[in-house]
Amino acid sequence: MIEAQLLTKCYGKTVAVDGASFAVQPGRVTGFLGPNGAGKSTTMRMILGLDIPSSGEVRVNGKPYAQLADPLRSVGALLDAKAIVCSRSAANHLKWIADSNDIDRRRVSEVLDIVGLSDVAEKRVSTFSFGMSQRLGIAAALIGDPETVMFDEPINGLDPDGILWIRNLMKSLASEGRTVFLSSHLMSEMAQTADHLLVIARGRIIADASTGEFVNGNAAPSVRVRAEQQGELANVLTQRGAVVEGTADGCLVVTGLDAAAVGGAASAHGITLLELAPQVSTLEEAFFDLTRDEMDFHAGQLTGSTKGN
Amino acid sequence: MSVTTYPATPALPGRATNMTTNVTRVLKGEWMKLRTLPSTWRTAVIALVFSIGTGAVLVISQASQWATMTPAQHRTFDATSCSLFGVMIAAVLLGALAVRSVTAEYASGMIRSTFTAMPARRLVLAGKAAIVAAFAFPVALVSNFVAFEIGQRIFAGKHLQVTLGHPGVLGAIFFGAAAVSLIAAIGVGLGGVIRHTAGATTAMAVVIVGGVVLGQLLPAGLRGYLPGTALQAAVTVHRSSGILTPGTAIVVLGIYAAIALAAATIRVAHRDA
Repeated sequence: MIEAQLLTKCYGKTVAVDGASFAVQPGRVTGFLGPNGAGKSTTMRMILGLDIPSSGEVRVNGKPYAQLADPLRSVGALLDAKAIVCSRSAANHLKWIADSNDIDRRRVSEVLDIVGLSDVAEKRVSTFSFGMSQRLGIAAALIGDPETVMFDEPINGLDPDGILWIRNLMKSLASEGRTVFLSSHLMSEMAQTADHLLVIARGRIIADASTGEFVNGNAAPSVRVRAEQQGELANVLTQRGAVVEGTADGCLVVTGLDAAAVGGAASAHGITLLELAPQVSTLEEAFFDLTRDEMDFHAGQLTGSTKGN
Repeated sequence: MSVTTYPATPALPGRATNMTTNVTRVLKGEWMKLRTLPSTWRTAVIALVFSIGTGAVLVISQASQWATMTPAQHRTFDATSCSLFGVMIAAVLLGALAVRSVTAEYASGMIRSTFTAMPARRLVLAGKAAIVAAFAFPVALVSNFVAFEIGQRIFAGKHLQVTLGHPGVLGAIFFGAAAVSLIAAIGVGLGGVIRHTAGATTAMAVVIVGGVVLGQLLPAGLRGYLPGTALQAAVTVHRSSGILTPGTAIVVLGIYAAIALAAATIRVAHRDA
């Protein structure tokens, strides 16, 4: 459980994180979504007590990070896989971490096993590929068997196998009842991994909703339709209140009416349909719709619900 | 694939808020870090070889010049401090090791892992200083003993040798090692204040060697209190005026270490990592 109250971080006149209030709940994967520079990493550093908030506060498992009795048994975090003094071996890197929190050394080989690095445990970290470093960082995060795990852009630079592995790992950690918080700017990835989304743009939390709610609430569903009497259909649909746009390949994209209503209208006017397909909106569309509003300073409706939480 | 293959020890409430526990953890973590860096052991070997070698070279040169020295030079001749001259080299190299124990973590960004594992930043700095100082002491001690033995064997050719039993000799060997140990603690402080390896290592070298050169510009009374001259004083048996006693030299170096670590603590504890 991570709880932030009006968390704010300023660097000089730049506001990196602006009054962020949110709660990351256990038992699900919460995605922290936002473009590069939105304030994701700064927020995560404040959660870990690395950056000092300009105002507001954040608690992990009910306490400020620095007051946790056993920090690594409460929170495991991977911020930057390459941020490591790399002349040590992987096993030795994990051993100092274990020693610093009185964690049994047996956990070192266990977490190396979990992340699939047992064979290179004695190799120097300087010889590791980015993917291997990423796995080592995840091993370090898991070493204390923490209730809360937090990963900053964990899939950046990974191959498809690595991505699939991380996605399954996040889900299994959440299914064990842990709090799983991961940031990404990759929306397709978030759509597949996250149960819940926290969306940040320009340092402000602009949405806090389940992934499904977020997508449906922010991208208008549309219907793709093609008819023999294309012009006539467009008129009919417009009269019924829909917004109709033509596409380059000769179809119409209709918003404001669902597929059944479009089919019914065509039938009532004797129009022959050649194609009728409801379009599933994507997280990407939802995100751009929402952030476009944000850029225009028309706060999205979800901002209101965030404050209500 | 299961993540919980081993049930972790549950966090016992209140246990780790205990200062002793935190101190032990920091010392364990920092010792593991220091000893698993290959450069730590490389530096120890280089420090031994170069400090012993430097002492031997000075001893050979002094022994060969003995016949041409003035009576005044004969009176102030100190066979002990001459053979232990390499302690300066040990101080520079082990001081640089101490600097890197902090700056390498800032350069790589691993300092964030350190402060995530051990959020008590003051304690981390103090722990690093204690560990590096504890590592430097035996290295400097062995170096001093060996350098002394080699030096005295060379001096024996001119009947200039002293033995371990001579008053002040054992003191010079031990105080010399303690001085190197405190200089390592100063190095941790400089590393925390400056945070960049090149800058902090240069500062370390200036503190030890530069001080001796710069010292010529200072009045004799103050000169003795510079870190470099205090280090030399710690290995001196035949004291001329203006040179601190070994005990005072150690206290002076201890004060420098405390100041450097206090400055580093202020800089590290109140800033974003």
